[in-house]
Amino acid sequence: MRKILIVAQTEFATLVRSKAFIASVLLLPVMMVLSVGLTRATKRVSDDKDRTFAIVDYTGVLAQPLVAVARMFDPGSAFGGLRPGGPATSRFIPVEVSASTRQPDELRLELSDRVRKGELFAFVEFPANVLDPGGEARIQYYSDHPSYANLPTWLTAIANGVIINERFRRASIDRALVARLTKQASVENNGLFDRDASGRVQAAETVDNARAFGVPAAVVFLMFITIMSSGPALLNSVIEEKMSRISEVLMGSLTPFELMAGKLLGSVSVSIVLSALYVAGGLAGAQYWGGYASVVTLHLLAWFFIFLVMSILMFGSVFIAVGAACSDLKDSQGMMTPVMMLLMIPMFLCVPILRAPDGTMATVLSLVPTAAPFLMMLRISLAPGPPGWQIALSAALMAATTVVAIWAAAKIFRTGMLMQGKTATLTEMVRWVRA
Amino acid sequence: MSDAIVLRGVTKRFNGTPAVSELSLAVPTGSIYGFIGPNGSGKTTTLRMIMRILLPDQGEIEVLGLHDSATARDRVSYLPEERGLYKKMTIRRLLRYYGRLKGGSLAGLDKAIDEWMERVGLPGLQDRQIETLSKGMSQKVQFIAAVVSNPELLILDEPFSGLDPVNAQVVKDAVLEMRRRGTTVVFSTHDMATAERMCDRIFMIFNGGKVLDGSLESIQDQYGADTVRLRTSGGALALAGMAEVEAVNDFGQLQEVRVAGDPQMFLARLAARTVVYHFEITRPSLQDIFVRIAKPA
Repeated sequence: MRKILIVAQTEFATLVRSKAFIASVLLLPVMMVLSVGLTRATKRVSDDKDRTFAIVDYTGVLAQPLVAVARMFDPGSAFGGLRPGGPATSRFIPVEVSASTRQPDELRLELSDRVRKGELFAFVEFPANVLDPGGEARIQYYSDHPSYANLPTWLTAIANGVIINERFRRASIDRALVARLTKQASVENNGLFDRDASGRVQAAETVDNARAFGVPAAVVFLMFITIMSSGPALLNSVIEEKMSRISEVLMGSLTPFELMAGKLLGSVSVSIVLSALYVAGGLAGAQYWGGYASVVTLHLLAWFFIFLVMSILMFGSVFIAVGAACSDLKDSQGMMTPVMMLLMIPMFLCVPILRAPDGTMATVLSLVPTAAPFLMMLRISLAPGPPGWQIALSAALMAATTVVAIWAAAKIFRTGMLMQGKTATLTEMVRWVRA
Repeated sequence: MSDAIVLRGVTKRFNGTPAVSELSLAVPTGSIYGFIGPNGSGKTTTLRMIMRILLPDQGEIEVLGLHDSATARDRVSYLPEERGLYKKMTIRRLLRYYGRLKGGSLAGLDKAIDEWMERVGLPGLQDRQIETLSKGMSQKVQFIAAVVSNPELLILDEPFSGLDPVNAQVVKDAVLEMRRRGTTVVFSTHDMATAERMCDRIFMIFNGGKVLDGSLESIQDQYGADTVRLRTSGGALALAGMAEVEAVNDFGQLQEVRVAGDPQMFLARLAARTVVYHFEITRPSLQDIFVRIAKPA
């Protein structure tokens, strides 16, 4: 045990001093600040060009109201911040084009040429029967910027408002009255009533989406990045020791199992420190900006660290075995693909499980040991959480798998670390495990 | 005195092919014991089995009186043939790490590190990062890593390979210093001259089996005084066609000749052919014995 601790201590010191660790500590906050900052910054500057578009109105009644409404949504105006398709940082300038005596295709061709020359950004056609409530007519939008969605989004919202207004007017019905009469009663999503310690009834709290979905998303993401930052570090460390023959020097001092166990323990320590830093930072940030720190319970934290430790031991063993079986870093990339798939697949399954965390699929998948750290943690962080026996069963299955993974990895490690110049095949690795 | 290492009937196979067969040997405590043998003869496999990095398929190994050599690990140091260092560590951190794995205390190790760094000509460099060291410096640090814990048994696989003459001498002096301190030293080498000069006993392995084991004198005695070292005006050409000549080792200015029959008769016949400046009847060198054994038939 003494030697395992010495290796673990050295691995820990080496890892936390490495640039990779410092980068991984800073990575998440920097990414968050960058993503929020860039989104805000680019919102202001990415769409600062006025866009003139032509309106060909075959109804004869839509163009004028649309021009009037467009001015209301100009930057700086009362509705600028509410403009459909994003807040106004530029103007949409509709220009009516008369279609009275022209062949439609001739007119379309002419307007298309004007778009190509840059005189117009786009043009839009309102068919004559678009006002017919029973018709299937569609507003036609033409542009050579198919990826630009702000103007079509704006048109969908505003033009339909104008069209519906006109339909109500023609039917002599007061739209405002209809709107009041058809106003929907929304459903408020609440928790449950409870009694406090003194026996008084406590009212249910309204469900806060940030609390309900933010914490599960953060838990799964943190688990994923912690595993992803520790696993490859273990792989690199093993390959470095194998390629530079350090492993043989070390094996003159301790058994291969002691060496591997020390590495795993070092990696577990680094992962705990890394995730603890993230958890502490996240809680401080959540408390400062929204007072959300209380949603992270001790129960959640305890299970998070239990599953994290088992994950690092289980996946870390696999990374170590791959490193010991490969002759260089390049060879390890191919072997890593199935391991990466094991890590990625649960991430893809998070959304369906988020929708029905108590469903059969969620229950079964969260018991699968390689998926449990993500999916069981996701279920634990979603109220009311899975039954205790499911959590315990999931943890027990994962613990058993971890023991098997460590045992098999130790066998591969023992032989692989002394094998030079050749990457082991899967058959050879199986033979080493069975030996 | 007891033996530091005892091997009894040790066999190791890889994929069914024997790398070491029925090997038995005893390394006396306090001696310098040389392992020689051609590449692939089983030297490294034997050393790895002694270190318990590999386990024998048959036979038993006793290290420092213990049958389970794993328990003797802290008293034994091993320097493999191809060795590396952690590039990002400082010399002190690295040596402390290796020393602590052998059971050393930080205070004791720091003292030993400073002393060895001074001895091998690297004073004051303890806090330098490994990746900034020259090849020669790295090799000396690797050697210190093996001796810093002051082991009772030091096993070195090709410790002098790749060293320039100055650094080779530094390491040789350090090996002798370890012996003076009471450490048993086992090293493998391809340098026969070094083995002759440094080793109390020499062991040769060939095709996985023992072919020589004993002091240099006893080994040479087995091969008799059939070697003549000579220098003539005709050089090696003067020896052509002489019936007594069994083998010639030509050093240019000097030839070492294995002679069949009476050396005096050979001298008389040679003197009739060329001017003889030097004629010395001697025992075969270790190099010659090695070649006799390992030369392809």
